[in-house]
This record gives sequence, structure tokens and C-alpha cells, in this order.
Amino acid sequence: MDVLMPQLGETVAEGTLTIWHKAVGDTVENGELLFEIGTDKVEMEVPAPVSGVLTAINVEAGATVDVGAVLAVIDDGKSDAASPATTPVASAPAASNASAVSRTPTRHPSLRLSPVVRKLVVENNLDPAHIPGTGRDGRIKKSDVLAYMKGAPAVQVQTTALFEPLKPPQSTPPVAPLKSGAGRTVVPFNRIRQMTAEHMVRSKTVSPHVAQGVEVDFSSVDKVRKEKGGVWRAREGFSLTYLPFIARAVCDVIKEFPNINSHVEADNLVVYDQVNLAIAVDLNFQGLVAPVIQNASAMTAVEIARAVADLAGRARSGELTQEDHQGATYTISNNGSFGTLFTTPIINQPQVAILSADAITKRPWVVNVGGEDMMAIRPIGVLTQSFDHRAIDGAYSAAFLRRLKEIIETKDWGAALP
Amino acid sequence: MAELTYREAVAAGIAQEMERDETVVFLGEDIAKAGGVFKATVGLYDKFGPDRVRDTPISEQAILGAAMGAAMTGLRPIAEIMFSDFLAVCWDIVSNQIAKSRYMTDGQVSMPLVIRTANGGGARFGAQHSQSVENWSMMIPGLKVVAPSSPADVKGLLAAAIRDPDPVMFFEQKSLYATKGEVPDGEHVEEMGKARVVRDGDDVTIVALAAMVPRAVEAADRLQAEEGISASVVDLRSLVPLDTTTIFNEVGKTGRLVTVEENPRLCGWGAEVSSIVAEERFWDLDMPILRITTPHIPLPSSEELEDIALPSVARIFETVRNEVD
Repeated sequence: MDVLMPQLGETVAEGTLTIWHKAVGDTVENGELLFEIGTDKVEMEVPAPVSGVLTAINVEAGATVDVGAVLAVIDDGKSDAASPATTPVASAPAASNASAVSRTPTRHPSLRLSPVVRKLVVENNLDPAHIPGTGRDGRIKKSDVLAYMKGAPAVQVQTTALFEPLKPPQSTPPVAPLKSGAGRTVVPFNRIRQMTAEHMVRSKTVSPHVAQGVEVDFSSVDKVRKEKGGVWRAREGFSLTYLPFIARAVCDVIKEFPNINSHVEADNLVVYDQVNLAIAVDLNFQGLVAPVIQNASAMTAVEIARAVADLAGRARSGELTQEDHQGATYTISNNGSFGTLFTTPIINQPQVAILSADAITKRPWVVNVGGEDMMAIRPIGVLTQSFDHRAIDGAYSAAFLRRLKEIIETKDWGAALP
Repeated sequence: MAELTYREAVAAGIAQEMERDETVVFLGEDIAKAGGVFKATVGLYDKFGPDRVRDTPISEQAILGAAMGAAMTGLRPIAEIMFSDFLAVCWDIVSNQIAKSRYMTDGQVSMPLVIRTANGGGARFGAQHSQSVENWSMMIPGLKVVAPSSPADVKGLLAAAIRDPDPVMFFEQKSLYATKGEVPDGEHVEEMGKARVVRDGDDVTIVALAAMVPRAVEAADRLQAEEGISASVVDLRSLVPLDTTTIFNEVGKTGRLVTVEENPRLCGWGAEVSSIVAEERFWDLDMPILRITTPHIPLPSSEELEDIALPSVARIFETVRNEVD
């Protein structure tokens, strides 16, 4: 069976094979770590797709290859492993050397680091200048790196890419490291922080943001949550929040306003049929990721609720996969638990809009009963959408929000829940 | 399980195999009626008789020449060279004949023989009767090299060596003959070429062989108790085949490698282990590799000087403590 270069994301066409964990002739188990690849977006461990014997390695560590390229061949006893495409390239080392081929991280220019520290620093994209060394003469030990990474848990999330950087991270010339002390603590940006910073600046630079908010009466949602929330919690093991209702309503409205569900690519608006809904998840103040509910438009509110719980759980335990980060067409950010009135979110590029759900609180509200205006107490929350004014105008976004409000307030949510 | 001494385990291992296979014969100087100068073969003559347990003249060349001929003609001889230092006088037959025969006859002649020998220092026997020469054998293609550290391994690895179709150099460490340990009851056979992690640890890996294993374990216990340094100890058990998998696993975990060798420093087996780890697991290392060895000197007879020369528990403890930061 051919082992192919996996798709790393919709906009990624190639990646660098960084390390082989197996050599030609090795027996591999299905799911066992086979090799690692890196792109400007993500570093990823790739398991063996089948059990068998690794019979050929076609691409040496360090080589950059196209998605879909045949990297290696595993003889699983079924397929023909001797097809012409699987002949090792001429420059591939002899089998006996294959295990020694892979482990050559680039050198760090300035510090004297042990081999294992050097490797960890390169693999995790750390700046050793920021890692406190507890060894002799301040030497950084392996345990120091591990402790440093543990102290910044977000770094350990395998697939850290909330957003794609516009260009590969540039190597900056070495500068004197900032030092903690004298009443201040220096906290170096970890990988998520660096990528978030890069993306936010870029998004604000390329997209003229406009934010619009709409007040929504969540009474009908609240009614269902009150009636069914207890049973739900007992059955599903997590609380029934407002988010799946909002998400379902967003998918409904997008059918009527498809341009919201799109990407901007080189003076084109690329409109998608399917809604792949990114949900921003805070990693306990250690960073932000936005895993994606694939094809949320085909899901019921119940299915969306389960998908949100699953993604949020895996995001916090660092178990998201590359697939969980791919293909988002619209994003919802949920800040309600902190009681904020509204938030103007920054667009998740190359999407054109993002919605913030904030606190839903009981407020005095004018309702019309039998032709008469009256005061009532209603759960009210503001939904704020930031949109890219290159792609969409205010009227379109406002109409989208008006319809969103309408659906949330009037849909028969009881029928949507078992 | 029965508690045996290291020397009793030698006789037990030979007896087990002689009972099992009537082609196994045993020859050497004073090994029969006298039961061996180290009393490691007591009882074998009485049990198996003079045809299978033979005393020989004082000629190491004759012993190994006879053993080689026996092995070529269908027997499985065990030859004892009383002191491993004496291997030097039979080096042609070991290195040029025994080790090469299978290769030079294109596999037509195999050489299922075991050369047992008492190896190593600590018994005040002086420069010609105290050497650790396992590294001499390690460097010759065609020889397997085994050096057990416990009575159970003596019996189990000796049985494996006797059953092996190729020549095996079996180094019994003199200073261990009186040590005791549990040995499994019944037939006991170990696999050659498997190292054993005899003590788990996270901070540093100490790789040792034979008499250096109990010293490394004692030093590791002290390091844990006094310094909070958690050392894993690997008993190599055989130098050829060498179990690099276990070494790599441990070094991968701790990032630090220390070898403890009784052979003299230059070209000791630890140099080979260090070289392999440096070549194949460089990116796992968190500290330069350390070798603790006997210095490159003839071993002195003086008790005080011999004790200083051989790696001791205190030297292992201090070296690791000073270098592991």
C-alpha cells in the first residue's frame, strides 16, 4: 500500500517531511507513528495507515513534497508492493542507514544546547532564550524544556493553527532576551500566541471590519432549555447551552443569505453550499483555537450541540486533529459566560463574517399583547456580527441579522429537541 | 526457585544440558575430579563420568583444538580456559579458526562450542590472572560474547550458549562466584542478545556488565537516596549480540548514558556502546556520554591499588553525581 502525503488543509499544497520514525524493513502497526510533517501552518504526526512491513521510503527527511505524493510503501500482504511507482529514489540511503537519516533538526545559532534540547526546541518552535536553564552554568536541560512546555500548555496542542499565516514564520535575528525581575515578568509568546497575533494583525489589515449588533429575545429558546435541560444533562452529560440554537439558526439564515458563507480569494467571493462552522474555544486563557463543525448545515440542533461539546472537550485536552481545523466557512465566538454586553470579533480569514454571542440576561422588554404595549421580563442578548466590507455591504449583513433574530425568536425549538 | 551461588549455577547449567543432550561434553584443566579451581564444576565428573567430563593437560591450545575438532564432528563441547588471560595463548585457534570456520566453509562446518572462562579482577591475582578481556572477544567477527551477572543468568545463558550452533565466549566473573541468587527450578534457558533493565530510573541510564551490574545498582540506590537522582541500570548480559534496542529505549527516556566497564579503558566495550548511541541516538542526548572504566594499566596485585583501579560503587556514585546536573 502506498503511503501518501496527506492533505494538510484546503490551502496547503505541499509540506516538508521532517522525520521518519521507521526505516525500510521495519514492521509497522496500523496507527503507529510513521513520520512527521510540517508546513507553515502546522506540525503533524502521521500514523501508519495499515499494518505491514515498510518496504520503501521514497522521500528523505527534509524534502518538501506535494500533497498526494507517494512517500513510502507498506507491504500489508495484500497490495502489490513492487509497483514501479514505489521504487526508491536514487538518492535514498541504503536501508541500513535509513534510521539515521531523519534526525537532523536545524541548529540554533547562539546557545550551546544538548542534542535533545536542540531537537525539542526545533520541533516545538520554541525560543531557547526564553527557557530558564537549571543545569550547571544555567544550561538548559531536557527537563527544563519539558517543564517550560508544560507551563505553557497551549504549546502542546498538536495542531495549533487557528489561522493560516500569510507567509512562513520568519526567522528573526537574535536579540537580547527580555528578562523577568524588578517587578515585571516576561512571558514569551508561545506558538498559538504568535500565530494568533500574526493573524489578527493581518485580518484587520486586509479586511475593513464593520460590526453590527442586534438584540434578540431568547424566550423561546429559554423555554425549551428549562423544559428539557435537566433530562438533556442527565442523558448527554453536558449542559444544553444557547450556542447550538444560535448555530442552527445561523445555518438556516445562511440558506437565505449565502454570501455570508464565503471566502475572499483574489478579488473573488467564493460562496460555499455547505456551512462548516468554526467555534472559537478558549483554552483556559492560554490561547484560542477555532475547531470546525464540518457540514453543520446538515445537522440538527441536537447534533450541533454534541459536536460543540466534543470539539471543545478535545480542544482543551489537546486532542484536536488536522481535520478539525479545516475548511471553516463561518465562525461563531461565544463570550456569554463572562457577562459581556457585546464583542466586536475579528474575522477568521479568509472568511467574510464572524458572529459574537454575548451574555443573555433578563431585562425589561416591551412586548405587544393583544394590540397593547406592555412591559415584560425577557432573556435578551446581543448578537454582533463583524463583516468584511470588501465582500458584503451593511444592508446585506443587517438583513442577515434581522432574519437571524427572527428565527431564534420564533422557531419551534421544542420540535427540534427530542 | 532455589538459591544458588554463581559457581553452583555454572555446574547446574552444564548438568542441565548434559542431561538433555548426550553430545554435550566438557573438558578443561582440573575441571573433572577436582571440580574446577573455582569449584564451579563440582559433581559433574561423578554424574557424567570420564568420557564426557575430561581433565586435560596444561595446554590451552590442546583444549581448544580438541574442542574445535569435537564441534566439527558432531559434539557440543564446553571448553574451560581457567583464566581468561590465558585466551591469549590460544588466540589463533579462537580468532582465526573457531570464529572463521562457518564463514570459510560456506556454512558447511558449524562450530557449536562454548568457551567458558573465569574473567576479571578483585581477587588479588595480579596482572596476568585478573584481566577483564571480554572486549578482546567482542572485536572478532564470528564470536558471540556473553557475561552474566547473576546465578540465574549463568544457568540460563550457559544453556542458551550450549544450544547455539556457533561459538560462544562465556565470561564468568571471578568476583561473582560466591554471590547468591534465586534460580528458577526445572529447565531454565535464557535468550542471548537481550539486555535487562534491572533498575528503573528517569534521570540517567547506567549500562553495565557482569560484576559491574551489582555495583551500578548499589550506586544507583545511593544516588536515589542521597542525591535524588533516578538512575536506570541496564545489564547488557551479552556484548554480541548487543541489545541496542533496550539501550536506545533507556537513553531515549533519560537522555543520559553512563557505561561502567571492568575492562581497561582503551577500546573497552563501553566505547562501542557510546559510539553506537552517539551515531544513532545523538538527538536524544542531554549530556555528554560518560565512561567509567578500569584505567589503561596492568592490574596491580596490591589490594588497595586493585580496588582503586576497578570501578567501585563509590566511583560510580561520585562520577554520576558530579556530572548529572
